Amino acid sequence: MKKNIQMPKLSEQMESGVLASWNKEVGEVVEKGEVLFEIEMDKVVSEVESMESGVLEAVFFEEGDEIKADEIIAVINCD
Amino acid sequence: MIYIENDSTDPFFNFALEYYLITEKNLPEDQIFIFWRTEPTLMVGKYQNTIEEINQNYAKENGIKVVRRITGGGTIYTDMGGWQFSFITRGQSDTIDFSKYISPVIEGLKKLDVPAEFNSRNDLVIQGKKFSGNAQCMLNGYTLHHGSLLFSTDFEQMVKCLTVDDYKIISKGIKSVKERVTNISDHLTKPIDTDTFKKLMVDSIMQGSKEHYQLTDTDLARIKAIAKEKFASWEWNYGKSPKFNITKTGRFDGGKMEFKLDVNKGKITDCHIYGDFFGTMDISVLSNALIGADYEKESIKKAIAQGDIKQGFYNINVDELADIIC
Repeated sequence: MKKNIQMPKLSEQMESGVLASWNKEVGEVVEKGEVLFEIEMDKVVSEVESMESGVLEAVFFEEGDEIKADEIIAVINCD
Repeated sequence: MIYIENDSTDPFFNFALEYYLITEKNLPEDQIFIFWRTEPTLMVGKYQNTIEEINQNYAKENGIKVVRRITGGGTIYTDMGGWQFSFITRGQSDTIDFSKYISPVIEGLKKLDVPAEFNSRNDLVIQGKKFSGNAQCMLNGYTLHHGSLLFSTDFEQMVKCLTVDDYKIISKGIKSVKERVTNISDHLTKPIDTDTFKKLMVDSIMQGSKEHYQLTDTDLARIKAIAKEKFASWEWNYGKSPKFNITKTGRFDGGKMEFKLDVNKGKITDCHIYGDFFGTMDISVLSNALIGADYEKESIKKAIAQGDIKQGFYNINVDELADIIC
């Protein structure tokens, strides 16, 4: 099963944030609870943990991109 | 909340202390407070492009340290005329909140009759001028909030360090926002020195509590190791910059030379050279020599200090070339 990973919304006012770094590459195995990526918004850097275990199948943005909250940024294949 | 006295003015040590408390120490208390200062230092945000933000030559010539934070935001200049405060709190909230960390600071300043308030960028201002920048990170189950307080900082030096040479650079790094600044000491009704200011602020924020933790020799040894391996390293401070493209132009007696460089993880990954200079060598020898070098003066000098490059250009020497490229 494939799961979409969304840009998290860290505050009520948050409209977008910067995808600051990918901690995993496409094709890599991701365990639930591992840090998948980091985002920066309003001078706050946050680690975002994966909610799924599987293989990171696709990423749609690169480091430095500004992304709207809730937008799909990656896909994890959980099979 | 417990207080940790930290007299170190070494920014690498001080950032290593925060990092150690967050990633290794795991003290039982829910909140730790530290109030510290640094020798002249440029502190760059975690995802900024260091060379885009600072005047590297000025910093080097004047012994100003450069360090990347683990928190977001822009670049600030700090010196012994200012203070930094850190709150390390167990737990990561799902939402961002600066006010609970900044309010105790505003309360402390009110006791000194300083009319401080928030602005929309989570900075603290007096009459619209910034005297405190704040940033956070959420790491290893902790929230780190730290901020700066300009008390009697040397603004002339600050401006010189943050005035970047005029060259073209394209990157996706987080950009700093220039704001007008002011020193707290200019707004005091009764003058006090920087040490008295520290004591008053710590007493106010700790609300009279004497709860504290004393760093042990074991703690100090680990913190010093982290400072050296991580925060003082070129890899962390420059190599971590997001990839960027930079154009540098030099005018020599032998002609004009323009370098267009791609830099990724601190290394030159592509290089194109243009100009009207005279040379006996195919220019690709120079560009190929540069590819793979760290984007750092010494590394560049080493890369181009080869016999045929040294003699290859009319009236242009290796040191001049390195000064232009980086």
